[in-house]
Amino acid sequence: MEPLFDVNCSPMECTSLSGSAPIWQDILAQAMTGEVLAAMNYTSLSEIGDDPAEVADALEHSECEQGHAAAFAAEGRKIGVEVCNNVDGKHWKRLRDAFLRCIAERDFIGCLIVQEIMLESFAVASYSRVGKVGPGSLGETFARIAAEEGEHVDHAMSILRAERARDAQRFDDKVCRLHLDVMTTLAQMLAKDCKDGHCEVCHASCVKPSLFEVSLSAAELRGASLQQYLKTLDMLGIPGEVTLAWVTQLPV
Amino acid sequence: MGDSAASLARRGPTIDVDFALIGHQESWRAAADVLAVVRGPDRMPLPDDEIKDILPWIPPRVVCHVDVGSITDAKVRGIYIDSFIPPDRLEAAYVHENIARVRGAAACAIKAGAKIVSLGGFSSILIEGNFDQLPERHDTVFTTGNTLTVAFIVQGIKKMCALENRNLRRSTLLIVGATGDVGSGCARCLAPIVRRVLLSARNVERLRRLAAELQAEGVQVEIATDLQRFSAEADVVICAASLASPSLLLGRIAPHALVCDAGYPKNLSPRAEMLGATVFFGGLGQITGGMRFTPDFHGILNRHPFPDVVHGCLLEGMALALDGRFEPFSQGRGSISRERVEEMETIAARHGMHLAPLYNADGPVEDETSLPDGMVEGSVFPVMEKRPWAQM
Repeated sequence: MEPLFDVNCSPMECTSLSGSAPIWQDILAQAMTGEVLAAMNYTSLSEIGDDPAEVADALEHSECEQGHAAAFAAEGRKIGVEVCNNVDGKHWKRLRDAFLRCIAERDFIGCLIVQEIMLESFAVASYSRVGKVGPGSLGETFARIAAEEGEHVDHAMSILRAERARDAQRFDDKVCRLHLDVMTTLAQMLAKDCKDGHCEVCHASCVKPSLFEVSLSAAELRGASLQQYLKTLDMLGIPGEVTLAWVTQLPV
Repeated sequence: MGDSAASLARRGPTIDVDFALIGHQESWRAAADVLAVVRGPDRMPLPDDEIKDILPWIPPRVVCHVDVGSITDAKVRGIYIDSFIPPDRLEAAYVHENIARVRGAAACAIKAGAKIVSLGGFSSILIEGNFDQLPERHDTVFTTGNTLTVAFIVQGIKKMCALENRNLRRSTLLIVGATGDVGSGCARCLAPIVRRVLLSARNVERLRRLAAELQAEGVQVEIATDLQRFSAEADVVICAASLASPSLLLGRIAPHALVCDAGYPKNLSPRAEMLGATVFFGGLGQITGGMRFTPDFHGILNRHPFPDVVHGCLLEGMALALDGRFEPFSQGRGSISRERVEEMETIAARHGMHLAPLYNADGPVEDETSLPDGMVEGSVFPVMEKRPWAQM
């Protein structure tokens, strides 16, 4: 995929970002893919819900995530690039498959853990970092969406805390099992270097080595994501020494 | 290896936590060793560059459980909480970030229900003048642990003088970092039993106040912010400065001087030319009643060449817990008196906590004939697979 420069973009924005536009294009593509995948996950979740309120919530979230994906695409157009998504990219596909396994088991709590604790931790932390350095409306959009994703997490936390209160050991074992599946894939995505080939989302070569050009780094995005994940697990009440072991055992 | 972290999780909620220890690692080597234990014995240690990238993002958290015994048969249970202050971020530039980390660690201690919390190393330095910055306390009290640190420094000086047949009463004592909580406590304890006291620190006003306090008791005192002015005159030196790394160069140190490095991180630069001086690490105590880490961090969190040796600041919380005295024994800066040091020594001794065998970067400094348990006669090193102190 080559960057496509839109003739309708603001000449000033196109000029000022022309050097870094391909980098933002890849950052936006990763974010958009995550949002499209989240929308698909919530739609799937709505299909296993028994409680009409839960179904309505899931559909509302799905719509919200589609809105986020559209917002990222729009930011791409503003800087003159086409933002593509690929939920079949190898990492994203594995994440979707993990979620679908929970769906197949009609495991509502498992779905929330994967989407709200694991994927959203990654989204909130990385969007926040991008929001701090992103130029103009692009940065503002990342910051706004980070805040909205944070609200999703808050909503799920009360459900998950109540579930843990019923049987902490069973809950922690479930989180551990899903952690090994989902967070291993996320850790590979977030590794400083893509060691196992192209991610199939970046439009050309891997964007990670170029991130410093927009005041980001793969190490920072990984660190912030893992920190957010650990803090979220702390809020659930899972012992810190246990989650520390989980995180330090992830691939680097 | 002790219990796994996973099995700890099952124990966690049901364990009563008597005490908590808040600490951090003073070198990247030490931090790497901690993470290697956390990862487990079946996994390769993380590469150094990954550790430096990941550790600064780890929020403060419990790392292990600690069981401590007294010679009275009393037992207490506690937790070690690492604030994960990166070893290269101990400088003043990171003070707000580091206070936030200690606050986070304190919140972990409160959440765990710890009745008393000891603040180790820089945690104590960061908080000793800022106790109001700790989270709201419910049934949890905090102590800097500095009183027991002072006790062990003073005991160490006296022991080394006895071992080397030095007359402390004829000595000129130099305290580097004299206006800090530990430095000023050492000054109050030792000033009456030495010939002359030299106080060195950065803040001249605080130096003057401490000097006036000691002079009022008839002590001969001189002060200087320039350490080099004093270094050649002292024959007993206590290094208790708040330094982010071992960087202290004492300059023209007197030959045959006795130097106690009581810093955490250590004060003395490896490049410091000590001529014929005898250097030892001060402020360390040993638990006769035994100590157990779960998972097993023995020799990792306490990187000393002797078993069950811990910094005095951390031991203070354990001693108070064993004594059932859940009170903020050491708080604030500059309020450690001789009487309080004696009181803390008595509490610690009652539970079998004594001055640790003295050692320095080259190994034990005491005579072979006084080798404690765990040491092999004819060898300067104890029977331990690791020699972590040599890498510090």
